[in-house]
Amino acid sequence: MDLEKLRETAAEVAAREDVKYLIGWKKGTYGYRVAPGFIEDADGAAELIFSPLCTANLATYLTLVEKLPLPRGEEPDDRKTALMVKGCDSRAVAQLLVEKGIDRENVVVIGCPCPGMVDPELLAEKYPETEEPAEVKWTDDGFIVIRDGEETSVSRDELLAEKCRLCRYPNPVISDIMLGEPVETWEPAEDEGVNEVENKDVDEREAYWEEQFSNCVRCYSCRNVCPLCYCQDCILDRLNPTWVNRSVNFSENTAFNIARAFHLAGRCIECGECERVCPANIPLGKLNRKLAREVRDKYGFEPGLDPEAEPFQASYKPDDPEDFIL
Amino acid sequence: MTAKPKVGVYICHCGINIASTVDVETVEEYAQKLPNVKVARTYSYMCSEPGQVLIKEDIKEQGLNRIVVASCSPRMHEPTFRKAIQEAGLNPYFLEMANIREQCSWVHEDTGEATEKAKKLITASVAKVRLLEALESKEVDAEPAALVIGAGIAGIQAALDIADAGFKTYLVEKTPSVGGRMAQLDKTFPTLDCSACILTPKMVDCASHPNIELLSYSEVEEVGGYIGNFDVKVRKKARYVDFDKCTGCGDCASECRVADRFPSEFDQGMGKRSAIYLPFPQAVPAKYTIDPESCLYLSRGKCGKSPKCQEVCGAGAINFEQEDEFVEFKVGAIIVATGFDPFDASRKPEYGYDDYPNVITGMEMERLVSASGPTGGKVLISNGEEEIEPKEVAFIKCVGSRDESVGNEYCSRVCCMYTAKQAHLIREKLPDANIRIYYMDVRAFGKGYEEFYDRVRRENVRYIRGNPSEIFKRGNKLVVKAEDTLTSTPLEDEVDMVVLGVGLEPRADMRKMMDLLRLSQSPDRFFLEAHPKLRPVDTATDGVFLAGCCQGPKDIPDTVAQAKGAASSALIPLARGKVTIDAQVAEVNETTCRGCGFCVEICPYSAIEMVTVNQFGHEVEVARVNEALCKGCGSCSAACLSDSIQPKSFRDRQILPQIAALGAMK
Amino acid sequence: MSANNYEPNIVAFLCNWCSYAGADLAGTSRVQYPSNVQVIRVMCTGRVNPLYVMNALQQGADGVLVSGCHPGDCHYMEGNYYARRRLGMLKDLMEFIGVDPRRFHMSWVSASEGHKWKEVVEKTVEDAREAGPFEGFRRRRIDW
Repeated sequence: MDLEKLRETAAEVAAREDVKYLIGWKKGTYGYRVAPGFIEDADGAAELIFSPLCTANLATYLTLVEKLPLPRGEEPDDRKTALMVKGCDSRAVAQLLVEKGIDRENVVVIGCPCPGMVDPELLAEKYPETEEPAEVKWTDDGFIVIRDGEETSVSRDELLAEKCRLCRYPNPVISDIMLGEPVETWEPAEDEGVNEVENKDVDEREAYWEEQFSNCVRCYSCRNVCPLCYCQDCILDRLNPTWVNRSVNFSENTAFNIARAFHLAGRCIECGECERVCPANIPLGKLNRKLAREVRDKYGFEPGLDPEAEPFQASYKPDDPEDFIL
Repeated sequence: MTAKPKVGVYICHCGINIASTVDVETVEEYAQKLPNVKVARTYSYMCSEPGQVLIKEDIKEQGLNRIVVASCSPRMHEPTFRKAIQEAGLNPYFLEMANIREQCSWVHEDTGEATEKAKKLITASVAKVRLLEALESKEVDAEPAALVIGAGIAGIQAALDIADAGFKTYLVEKTPSVGGRMAQLDKTFPTLDCSACILTPKMVDCASHPNIELLSYSEVEEVGGYIGNFDVKVRKKARYVDFDKCTGCGDCASECRVADRFPSEFDQGMGKRSAIYLPFPQAVPAKYTIDPESCLYLSRGKCGKSPKCQEVCGAGAINFEQEDEFVEFKVGAIIVATGFDPFDASRKPEYGYDDYPNVITGMEMERLVSASGPTGGKVLISNGEEEIEPKEVAFIKCVGSRDESVGNEYCSRVCCMYTAKQAHLIREKLPDANIRIYYMDVRAFGKGYEEFYDRVRRENVRYIRGNPSEIFKRGNKLVVKAEDTLTSTPLEDEVDMVVLGVGLEPRADMRKMMDLLRLSQSPDRFFLEAHPKLRPVDTATDGVFLAGCCQGPKDIPDTVAQAKGAASSALIPLARGKVTIDAQVAEVNETTCRGCGFCVEICPYSAIEMVTVNQFGHEVEVARVNEALCKGCGSCSAACLSDSIQPKSFRDRQILPQIAALGAMK
Repeated sequence: MSANNYEPNIVAFLCNWCSYAGADLAGTSRVQYPSNVQVIRVMCTGRVNPLYVMNALQQGADGVLVSGCHPGDCHYMEGNYYARRRLGMLKDLMEFIGVDPRRFHMSWVSASEGHKWKEVVEKTVEDAREAGPFEGFRRRRIDW
């Protein structure tokens, strides 16, 4: 993508009177990290980037904004938020619109067709000890990694993030402004991660997840980063009733993870953020993708494509599968 | 709510129904030790007067504030005990029942097992009852008016009864005239009353009744609200005839450029009508209607130099500029009397209804034998050259009824008798004809029906037990192929005319009514009543009642009886002037609601709406429940990701402890 | 503990109008069935938060049953359709994380199906018995 064009457009949008700020990606300060940038004026746009390192789904900031009590007589700032989105991120926006988490007129969506992100962990494994901010660029058939001024070509397969290998919607499904031409979509890879768990027998699956969930430290990062986990008051924090006790142990951790995954059934847009931020490296994406696969295959539904769609969990079809019913 | 729960547990012996299997003393002892339980007692019959007194006295003397009754199903005696504790000064919703009879003592033989289970059920009830909240039933005013949809005999009767009771009644009829199917019938079984003679006075009454507003050629478009307060919107379709000016003289119809060209709906297509028409001579209102599809001017924009009807109408009533109008009004109750569709005989192609003109349906026979029908009451068939009287007539019953192959397992309940009646009428007109009736069974269950059936048999009408497999043509004759199953004789019966005793089907357009009024279908696809035995005219939607064949096939006396039943049910809220709203409704926690609207999408009663509230200076959208519409099903709450909408008495914080109590006792 | 000598503890959520009435009918008809199923009455299966199933297993149940009206017969028109979708998803998730599918069942039992209720109970108990005591993510201490 043409970076000049991106910054130019962002500058125009950020300068608009009716725009509070623009959320985009900017170069990080360390290694392969990229930071979210909140751009309030045209000048700030110069910091923005769009590169294979921009894995973060910025849509989560739309609902993270805290609505602090306003002093009497003060009007809330109801200007729009502009947001840069990849394909997956745009689905989060669409799903938020379905759920009225945001109003369409309160966002300016800047679409970035996405050729696929690198997996920052793979990158770190391949090129460890990168402290200075590195850069990654797209080439026709892969990536160029630039570390300390040194360029290395790496094939696409080697570095492409799992969520991108599985991606079916690299182009934004919703946007007000589209940056550049749509990318050519690719055949999504078979979801080996989910298959592998599915192919285990029930005891093996139990053992697999017991090991995973036992590692959970209940930091709730997965919940907090998720663009679609935006209840002001999450049921998992509640005491009356207590769905999940606060103690960190296998039982409560499992209940927490079931509840989190279930609440995203038919809502998860597979951006993979939960798994990316998990400090315990729990393969949370598998839970979400398993449900997304069932929702797609059995119910013929994909969330986050149509802002006018009926929410999956608040709708039904008379012929929904019922082979599990006695 | 702040008072510490003091629970009384009352264990019923139910004579020996419970006590012979459940060791009630052991259970009593166990219950006494449960947390928050102050008293536990057993008694032979808790529902009896002394049983109730026991509870009431404990409430007063021991200061109990929550009651668990372990006895029969709450579906049986919950109202009884609610009333009892209310009389003792407790909120009636501070009650939980443990079903240790239907779901314990009656289904488990082993005393040990049954006793253990009773303990668990009581524990779960105690866990829940402590957390129940006080609820108040509310009352709202009911609009003293009713809507009746459909003006066949059911709708007419219901409307007349409500209007006679002194309440405004809106009677909405889809077609240009009231009367419905009964108006098409010739004579009625078994008394052989002339159908029109007994119906037309009622038709006239309902048009002239001061309390009835008849909306003919109209359809209900929207229904909102709830019992006592329905908001109704009706579309009055354009007749293209000024209702007030039309004198019903009929000059327009006879002068119409396409006079008598179109199949008359009333005559089952056997007679003809003009583009401007009165469905039948006794139609009420006696006002002409232009069918826009057959009218040259309306369908093609041109009718000679100027439309003939306009030229000849002395009253100047023709108005091609007329448009559909909408009327809106409020009613307290609604009666659905939308009737049925006769089974379409084309769906049994083996009977050749589409191929052979002399294979006709029972409804067509009604018009054929009617003095006001297309042949003036003569039973005539065509032999290809001229109209002649048939010599050999066959009836086939159960066409489209009791027939899984067409999806109708049910009996249509009128065909046995109407074929017998029609056989009798043909016998009167054609004394020498050979008449036979093919039947599977003869069901003559009504008053005077068996007697009538006997009479018809004595009139030399042959009943042949067998369901014909096919009708085909041989020369000028129709051949009915069947087996006489009483003698196991295969038959090829040559006849001149076959009358198919078609059954009754749910109306093809009933889905619209289901959506408008939130009605369900029973397995036979007719409208579902609230209870097949005890609430046969009620529906699951409070304030909406059923009358006539829309609920299932019926003859005229049953239809009238149900219509009167529906009218009296509808009169309850109207006469009382108030309706009670269920207290166990959903409630929204507006501070945690995230405004996603899942609940709004889900609610089958449209009882939830999004409202904008100001929270610390921010305008936010939250869900709000209309308590009058909510039925307390709780479907909303299971979809609420933030648990912000909860049905009272079935809140998560009331159910989760039940689950825990059951699990903890493992 | 072997699968055969323990009595599974089963929590069932029944809708008031069909399945609870059907279970009552089984009682009035004196149909006999195993005593392992403890019923929690709700107004509609649509009320059953799928997380109840998780919660019941966590809090001591070896098996969970949800039973409601047949499709098309819901007293509230649609609640059972919503329940079917939600609980179908939950069942997929539970299986995926290694909960034996024999621990969770859903059924349609109408108010006139006392005998079917007996069959459903028998099947649920038998399956839970075969699956053995649930240890999985069971909570150590259950308070209520």
